[in-house]
Amino acid sequence: MIAPYDTKCGPLVSVLVPTFNRRRYLREALESLVRQTHAHFEAFVVNDGGEPVADLVASFNDPRLVMLDRRENRGKAASLNEALQHARGKYVAYLDDDDRYYPRHLAALIEALESQDNCQAAYTDLYKVHCRIEPDGSRQVLGKVVNISRDFDRFFLCHFNHVLHVSLAHRRDLLARTGLYNENLRVLIDWDMTRRLAFFTDFLHLPEVTGEFYGPEGACDRISYRMRLDKVEYLKQVLTIRTARPAKPWPKMPDLSLIYLPDTMDAAAGETLRHIWLWTFMPYEVYLPLPPRQISRLDTDMPALVPVHVPDGTTRAARLNAALARATGDYVAVVTPSVRVQEMWVEKALYAATRDAEGKTAYALAPAEDGWTALVVRRDILASARAARPNAGLRESLEAAGISLRGPDPTQLPFQFDELLLNAQALEAEGAWLLAARSYAEIGRRYGNQRWMRERAAAAYFHDGAHNEEALSICRELNATQPTVSTVLLEAKLLKGAGKFDEALALLNQAEAILSSER
Amino acid sequence: MELTTEGFVVEEGMDQHYDVLKELGDCHTMLGNFDRARQCYEEAALLAKDRPGPHVGRGVVAMQTGCHDEAERAFNEALRLDDNCAEAYGGLAMLYQQRAEYPKAFDYYLKSLDRNTDNLVALLGLFQTACQMGSFAKVIHYLNVYLERHPGDVSVLFCLATLYSHDGRLDEATEAIQTILTLDASNAEAVQLLKEVERKRAQASSEAASR
Repeated sequence: MIAPYDTKCGPLVSVLVPTFNRRRYLREALESLVRQTHAHFEAFVVNDGGEPVADLVASFNDPRLVMLDRRENRGKAASLNEALQHARGKYVAYLDDDDRYYPRHLAALIEALESQDNCQAAYTDLYKVHCRIEPDGSRQVLGKVVNISRDFDRFFLCHFNHVLHVSLAHRRDLLARTGLYNENLRVLIDWDMTRRLAFFTDFLHLPEVTGEFYGPEGACDRISYRMRLDKVEYLKQVLTIRTARPAKPWPKMPDLSLIYLPDTMDAAAGETLRHIWLWTFMPYEVYLPLPPRQISRLDTDMPALVPVHVPDGTTRAARLNAALARATGDYVAVVTPSVRVQEMWVEKALYAATRDAEGKTAYALAPAEDGWTALVVRRDILASARAARPNAGLRESLEAAGISLRGPDPTQLPFQFDELLLNAQALEAEGAWLLAARSYAEIGRRYGNQRWMRERAAAAYFHDGAHNEEALSICRELNATQPTVSTVLLEAKLLKGAGKFDEALALLNQAEAILSSER
Repeated sequence: MELTTEGFVVEEGMDQHYDVLKELGDCHTMLGNFDRARQCYEEAALLAKDRPGPHVGRGVVAMQTGCHDEAERAFNEALRLDDNCAEAYGGLAMLYQQRAEYPKAFDYYLKSLDRNTDNLVALLGLFQTACQMGSFAKVIHYLNVYLERHPGDVSVLFCLATLYSHDGRLDEATEAIQTILTLDASNAEAVQLLKEVERKRAQASSEAASR
C-alpha cells in the first residue's frame, strides 16, 4: 500500500493510463513514468478490452503500477472513471498509452501546485512529435514542436481546449464537484473535463516542456481523430460539452441566464433557439417566458432550456420579470426577437460585464427596438431596477436605476490576444517580417504568453534578415532557461550565418539529441 | 472574428529534423569534418526523400575531398529532384570550372544566377570564368543585379570596377571605385585600380590628341 502522503516524497499522485491496442508504445510510456523524479505515485493502467498488456505491466515489477484489466471495450471515459474509483492521490495526472513524460514532469507540476493556493490545477507544455510510421510500426521523428503554449484563459477554454490532458495535474477532490468523465462522449473527452474543472479553479501554466505526444503524418489511428470525421456526430458532442453544467456553486465561472422574449413561439423563435444552442459557448440557461399553449409548440431536446409559464396576454415587461424571478445566473442576457444570434453573439457583452467591477453598466447586444434593448447586465442590478419599475420598458427601468447602456469598447472584448495574433500572422504572410516581430513582442508584453510570443518574434526577426542581433538575443535568453528544438535550431542558424560554426554545431547537436531520443 | 485553430495551434515542424541534420551537415562541412557531414546529409536525405539540399551538401563534400565524379552524381541527383535548384547548378559550375571546362562552367553559373541572383559564390565564379574566357557582358549584368540588393558589397563592386576598366568603360569604373573608397577609404586594391584607370584615361587622351 502506498502512503497518501510521505513527508520525504511529498503528496501521492494518481496517474491514469488508459490503453487500447497500443501494446507497442505502452512500454515506452510506462518506462517514462517509472523514471519520474517525483517517485511518489500510483499508476492505474486500464486495458479497455484491447490486446493483453498485463504481462507487460508485470514485467516492470513495480508495485506502483496497478493493472485494471477488462474484457469489454467501453471507451476512454469509462477507463478513466474506473481508474478514478481506485485513486487515492491528492493529485491526478494523465498519461496516454502512446505519450511520454520527461523525468521532471510530475515534479514540475506538483512543486508548482504545492507552492501556491490559488490554483488547484496546473499544466506544462509538451512537444507534439510529428512522425512517420514505418512499415514495421516504428516511429520516425520528423520534428518536435510545442504547438500549444498558452496561458490559462477561461473564456478561451470554454471555446477551445488549450490544455492538453497529458500535460495536466489537478487536485483529485475537484472531481467531487466536476463529476466524473462523461461516458457518452467519444471525442473531446479531455476538453469536457478541463472545461468543467475551470468552473472551480484557475489553472497554472508552466511554460516548460515536460513530455511529448505523437502526431503521425497522414491518416491517424487515434479513436478521437476517426470520430471527428463524422461531422454531425462531432458537432453533437461539442454541443453536449458546451451545455454541461456541473452542480453549483461555481466560484470561478460566470453563469449566464438568457431570457428570450419572443412574442409568440413561431418558426423564427424556434430558429433563434436553435442558433443559441449552436453558437453560445459560455455556460448558460435559456429562460422562455410564454404561455403554456405557446411553449407546447416547441419541439426540441435543447438542454438548459427552462420554460417559464405565464398567462395568455402577459406583457413583455411582466414576462421579463417572471423569468428574472426564476433566473439563477450571475448575469442576465435579455434577448429580444430582433437579435441576430451568431458566433460570439453574447460573449463579447458578457466578457465586458464580467470585467466591470461596479456593474453599473449594461452592455448592448443589438440596436434598440420599442424601448427594449437586448443586453447583458448583472442579474442583481437588473433585478433591483425591475423591482423599482416593474411595468416599465427595459431601457426606462435601467435609466431610472442609473444604469448606463452601451456596447463594449474595444479594450473590453474577449480574445484580443487572438485578434492581434492573427494580425501579426497576416503581416508575416505579407512578408512584413519586422512589423510582425514587433507585433509579437508587444502582444507578449500586453497579453502574456511571453515564451510563445518571444519565440515568434525571434523567428520573424530572423526572416526579416536585417535584425539578426535581436533574433539572437531573444533565442539566447529563451534557450538559457526554456530551450525547445525550434529555438535551439533558430539560434544555430543565426550563429552559422555569422560564421560561428563551432557554436552552431554545439546547438545543433543539442537539437539532434532532443529529436533522436527522450530526455 | 472567426476563431479557427490556425491562430493558436502551431502546425509547423514537419521538416524540423531534416533541417537540423542539413544544418549539421553544413557546419561539419565548414569545419572540415567531411565524414560526419556526409553522414548527416545521408540521414537528412532519408527523412526528406524529395529535397535536393542533402544531395547538394554531399556534392560539396565530394568536391572538397576531390571526388569529382561523385560530386557530379550528387549535384545531378539534386537537379533530378528539383530542376530549379540554384545551388546544384552552382555546384556543377564549380566542378566544370575546376576541370577547366570554362564554357560549360559559364553556362551553369548563369543557370544558377538565373534562379538566384543573390548567390555570391556563383557570381564570383562567373566572374572568374569570364576572366578565363574574356567574355564580360553577361557578368556585368549579374554583378549589377546583385549590387542592387547588396549595394555595400565591396568585393562585388571591385569585380565590377575591374570589368568596366577592362572594357574601357572608364567613367563607370571610376564611379564604382569611388563607391568602394567611400565605404572603405583604406582599400589598397581599389586605390591601385583607380591609378590603373587614371593611367588608361591619360593614355586614351594622349592617343586621341596624337591622332
